Amino acid sequence: MSDVNAPAIACRHVWQVFGEGADKALTAALDRSGQDADAASQHLRATGFIPAVQNATFDVAEGELFVIMGLSGSGKSTLIRCISHLLHATAGEIRIDDENIVEASKQRLIELRRKKLGMVFQHFGLFPHMTVADNVAYPLKVQGIGRKERLAKASEVIDLVGLAGREANYPRELSGGQRQRVGIARSLVADCEVWFLDEPFSALDPLIRRQLQDEFLQIQAKLKTTIVFITHDINEALKLADRIAIMRDGKIVQIGTPAEIVLHPVDDYVREFSKDVAKGRHAHVASVMRGAGGGIEPGPDDPGLRTNMTLDAALAKCMSLYEPVPVWDDAGACVGVVDPADLAAALQVEDA
Amino acid sequence: MTAIPDTSPALPNRLSPGALAALITLLVGAACIALEPAFAWLVKWPAAWTFPATDWVGAVLEAVLGALKPFARMLASLLRYPMDGAHFVLTRTPWPLVIGVTTALGWYLGGLRMALLGALGLGFVLASGYWIESMTTLSLVAVSVPLALMMGGAIGILANEVPRVKSAVQVLLDVMQTVPTFAYLTPLLLLFGFGPVVGLIASAIYAAPPMARNVMLGLERVEPEIKEAAVMAGGTRFQQLFQVEIPSAASQIMVGVNQCLMAALSMVIIAAVIGGFNDIGWEVLLTMRKAQFGAALLAGLVIVVFAIVIDRMSGALAIERKRHDPRIAYGVLAVSVLVTLVFWGRLPDPSGFALLDPTADAVDAGLTAFTVASGAWLDSVKNGAMFYVLLPLRIGLDQAVLPFTWGFMWTPTMSLWLFAAGAAAGLVLIARGSVVGGLLLMIAVGILETGIANLPWPFVLTGTAALCWIAGGRKLALISVLLLLTILLSGLWERALLSLYLSGAAVFACAVLGGAIGLLCAVSPWAWRIVRPICDMLQTIPLFVFLIPVLMFFQIGEFSAFLAICAYAIVPMIRYTRFGLVSTPDDLIEAATASGATSVQIMKDIRIPYATPSLLLGLNQTILYAFSMLVIAALIGTTGLGQSIYLALGQADVGLGVSAGAAMAILAMIADRIVQGFAEERRKALGL
Ligand SMILES: Nc1ncnc2c1ncn2[C@@H]1O[C@H](COP(=O)(O)OP(=O)(O)OP(=O)(O)O)[C@@H](O)[C@H]1O
Ligand SMILES: [Mg+2]
Repeated sequence: MSDVNAPAIACRHVWQVFGEGADKALTAALDRSGQDADAASQHLRATGFIPAVQNATFDVAEGELFVIMGLSGSGKSTLIRCISHLLHATAGEIRIDDENIVEASKQRLIELRRKKLGMVFQHFGLFPHMTVADNVAYPLKVQGIGRKERLAKASEVIDLVGLAGREANYPRELSGGQRQRVGIARSLVADCEVWFLDEPFSALDPLIRRQLQDEFLQIQAKLKTTIVFITHDINEALKLADRIAIMRDGKIVQIGTPAEIVLHPVDDYVREFSKDVAKGRHAHVASVMRGAGGGIEPGPDDPGLRTNMTLDAALAKCMSLYEPVPVWDDAGACVGVVDPADLAAALQVEDA
Repeated sequence: MTAIPDTSPALPNRLSPGALAALITLLVGAACIALEPAFAWLVKWPAAWTFPATDWVGAVLEAVLGALKPFARMLASLLRYPMDGAHFVLTRTPWPLVIGVTTALGWYLGGLRMALLGALGLGFVLASGYWIESMTTLSLVAVSVPLALMMGGAIGILANEVPRVKSAVQVLLDVMQTVPTFAYLTPLLLLFGFGPVVGLIASAIYAAPPMARNVMLGLERVEPEIKEAAVMAGGTRFQQLFQVEIPSAASQIMVGVNQCLMAALSMVIIAAVIGGFNDIGWEVLLTMRKAQFGAALLAGLVIVVFAIVIDRMSGALAIERKRHDPRIAYGVLAVSVLVTLVFWGRLPDPSGFALLDPTADAVDAGLTAFTVASGAWLDSVKNGAMFYVLLPLRIGLDQAVLPFTWGFMWTPTMSLWLFAAGAAAGLVLIARGSVVGGLLLMIAVGILETGIANLPWPFVLTGTAALCWIAGGRKLALISVLLLLTILLSGLWERALLSLYLSGAAVFACAVLGGAIGLLCAVSPWAWRIVRPICDMLQTIPLFVFLIPVLMFFQIGEFSAFLAICAYAIVPMIRYTRFGLVSTPDDLIEAATASGATSVQIMKDIRIPYATPSLLLGLNQTILYAFSMLVIAALIGTTGLGQSIYLALGQADVGLGVSAGAAMAILAMIADRIVQGFAEERRKALGL
């Protein structure tokens, strides 16, 4: 708003400590350790506090899709609740469009939530006593918008998430996937600029999850909002993210693009996450390329690699240079041939 | 009370806390018995050592109430308007219309079954000839319930919004529910003067706590994400509360409405003892006093029918179901309007229906015939129970065993033999490793010899302290002893022991019998199918009605009171026992079966230990039920605090009424905390 280049969300040294008298305990612990976050956290833990978010500092650019990842209990939900101010951060500064929301007044917070922030919950958080249409229209109702107008707007977003025709149903009459669509529609109805999603697809089965992820990307392409998205599924993170932050026991251990996370994990914890990931799909040729010794001429059988090709694709191209090779049985007789290009292709995961 | 954990039986030189507590109690008790001949004040607290606390309480209260009186009288005259209005509407509305509305409502809420229930229920009321009286009662309920709902709702919301007052509110609600119902009435009588307003206000006060509790519980249980979604939608706190949280908690709140209605009805009927207007509770009381049991039973049945109709219909509110087609409800309404119009002016007077009077008279005659014919048998049942169980419990074997009762005289030698036998049996138990069991056995023998009403006060204080210490720690023990001391010093001690004795006997009987029935229902679904509707019924019936059948057979007296208390207090024991036993996780049972346990072994080793917390909660409820019935039973002859409260009501003696009520509440709360403490401990031990 004020500064064109200001990030949409800026977190500076955000702490959330649970326990009686956490404010003082945190200040004391930080003073004791000479402002060293890790030592302070350790001390807090030892004295019975839970430092659920420790010294989180990062920016999210406007229109960026920022994913927070980590094991269960690592503090993801707590962090996102601090940013949306469902929890009052114990310490630190959180700016949304350059406005410090930790210090915002109650009135201002209500205004922000009405106009700017939207949130989707892990377990949907639908109002059981309202129909789909009323659920979706609720954020407009609290603003005092007339029934006709808000239902018209609601039916637009209900269309957008593909739930047309179910407006009059109650949440209990819907499947899990449909319920989450209602949750998504409700968070979109007030045209939010910053969108928080806390494990929106975790409660769903893999097929529905994939489908909703795709639709989510389409919606995002259309609306171009700034998004903070929580998941503990690395494949989901890699598929959606512009950048990923990885949390461990309250601490952000690494922030980077999907390729950086997969190829250059900072420690074993992060490596463990990406262990089962088909790296060939997410890393590009550029990330494994060595600097060229000058004067290489393209040969006649050059596979035509490009820096932005995925490793899978590059491998397939290279393999296509080889002739078919024989396959032998135990007795030593030739039973057939296999094309190296087919081998490479078989390893490739279907691109979603 | 054998729930004391027996952790180190094999090490008599390192006593477990339970054994230590039991030992100290035993020693104090033994010392009291030994010293009693020399120091009579050990048993009978000398009157010279008491403070005239009831008088003080009376004086203070009268001053306070006197100051409040003008305000109260104003409130009373204000409340007269809605009361008279409701009374006018309900008694003057032509009866076909009332029945039509009830039936239509029944249809809307629960379909054909509920509609039939409404129609038949009110039809019965009409046929009984108690229509006007019933409508009078109903009009009181109709005014007191909205009051109670508003108060309860406001308290619940307040506790939810201001977390700091929450625990204070909890304590207040506990007190409101343990103070016996009659005890409310005396101060209210002073404040508001004789008349139905007292019943109205008492019932509103009595019915508010269940509403408040359920509102608190409901709001607390709204999923956090639903609350957060309302916040993120940008609602103000007011919008969050009234548009999202309260509607989400609707079914829990409806449970509160249901309980509130039942409590109000029960209290309105109890309040009839102050008399003064023509309602159905008064009718029961009147006919009971005149020993017209047929009529009393009929009036009692009218109350039961009312209770059931109100309970089932408001219960249907709490269940989220599709409502039934309103068009049929309108149809029913239209028919009743039509009937009313067609017969306008020619409608028979609703009090004129006395279709059931012949039946009532026949019941009366039959009953007289029966009691004459089997009077000897009934008497022998009653005397047997009195002479061999209740009296010894109350005044001890040394006084209860007389030539007139047992056929011989109890002698000091017999006491010695009894003590010796008890000690020997206790020692055997201790030698076999059960230290606590042995000590408890010795204590029990001592109590049996002395009688609960004659227990030395140092023993009672020590015993309570010991139990509290084991169940809830030092703080509970300290508070309980202090509270008991106030009873001792205020001169209500003897009466408190009498109440303790009667409720103790009833609770014991309920625990044994209810436990057995619960066990039976747990193993046989078939038995449960029979017992369950009976339990439902017993829990719906207003307390008052329990008195009628016992009076019919056993006349006024302690045994009748005992039976009435048991009939009311046994239900939770049955329910919780069964629930605890059937809710053992399947995998535990499968594991035991796989290890080759027989079904009896599974019951003994797996199910019963697992069900202990639930059993203890059942016991807890039974104790509270017994205490609340104790006061009502004072109408038909109990001694002790219940009687004092009832007498105080008759004499408008606020000091006595409130002090005795407080003493009763103290006993109930101490018992409650002790049993809760044991239940909590078992739950922790089981990792629940
Ligand atoms: N209100 C609270 N009071 C105390 N501790 C809390 C509270 N909320 C969360 N915690 C603790 O903070 C830590 C982080 O919890 P959080 O819910 O943020 O984890 P998460 O990463 O979202 O896990 P999940 O993937 O299971 O949702 C946990 O140890 C949790 O027990
Ligand atoms: Mg979470």
